[in-house]
Amino acid sequence: MNEQKLDFLRELAVIGTGHATIALSQMLQGRMFKLVVPDAQMLPFTEAADYMGGLEQVVVGIFVVISGDVRGYMACLHPLDTARLLVRLLTGQETEEIDELGRSALQELGNIMVTSFLNALSKMTNLLMMPSVPGLAIDMAGAVWESILAGAEVTNEVTVIRTKFSAEGEEIEGHIIFLPDEDDFRKIARQFGLEDLG
Amino acid sequence: MTEVFVNMGEISSAKNHGILTTVGLGSCIGVTLYDHKVKVGVMGHIFLPRSRSNDQGAPPGKYADTGIPAMIQEALRLGASKSRLQAKLAGGANLFPNLSLNTISIGQQNIQAVTELLTQHGIPIVGQDVAGNHGRKMRFFVDNGVVTVTAIGKEPVQI
Repeated sequence: MNEQKLDFLRELAVIGTGHATIALSQMLQGRMFKLVVPDAQMLPFTEAADYMGGLEQVVVGIFVVISGDVRGYMACLHPLDTARLLVRLLTGQETEEIDELGRSALQELGNIMVTSFLNALSKMTNLLMMPSVPGLAIDMAGAVWESILAGAEVTNEVTVIRTKFSAEGEEIEGHIIFLPDEDDFRKIARQFGLEDLG
Repeated sequence: MTEVFVNMGEISSAKNHGILTTVGLGSCIGVTLYDHKVKVGVMGHIFLPRSRSNDQGAPPGKYADTGIPAMIQEALRLGASKSRLQAKLAGGANLFPNLSLNTISIGQQNIQAVTELLTQHGIPIVGQDVAGNHGRKMRFFVDNGVVTVTAIGKEPVQI
């Protein structure tokens, strides 16, 4: 991926993540969220899991298939601490172990974040982007990560968008992977007036 | 004892002693080859079943069809005999079972590909902990051929 493509993907990520954060804030009954501008980095695929805090660290992964005018995949990964915080904010439940209720809350949360991310891009481009029902895994970062890469057929490098926001003094950290099909990515770029993205 | 970490797509080997470890096996499959007599061990962490034309520069260990022959060659290079090689497998899980990405999950495709290739080469599979919906860590003790597999929140099991 060249520098121009990466910049464009970063722009898309800022727009999408901004909308996802607003949706999340609404879901948590209007608690104010402060978003730190997301940072997009392109990584060789073997290094990406390490970058998320080590292969053995337990993470929560949400994975969806995108269909419509733009096809592709999207995933969000959160450290376990962040996931526990989100479960607490959503359900009022303080837990060490994430139970069935926690799992479904996280799945719903992933659904809302992914849907609002894609909706924001859909509105700006007039291209339909529909997420599937999200898949949820709570497991070793390495295992979650490679399963996403294999599922999305990524074999070389991948762009990971790191995002951070805070609610009531608590930090929420996440990694977003937006993987539109190569040709469909060009379609999005054309809608933004970028004809020659390489 | 030295412990060597084998990343996704890599192949590592050891002779007489040492531990070969791979962490975070999801849909990938961890494969070990061992010759008891000369204490030669090889471990691979395979990503997908078949190599791709658009990924020419890939290390052989990334795909089963190139990885299994490369692992056998590495064992022979260290003095193992092909007829004494025994294999153990871990991984090939499906972490997102409610997403129908493929009719047969990638984990399952990896298990099938590795099993077929080992059979073609006449190498018996003497232990395995595969499939299911959880990630795994695999440790291979080259001094005695023992392999342990650990899942999150579980005690290691020996295969």
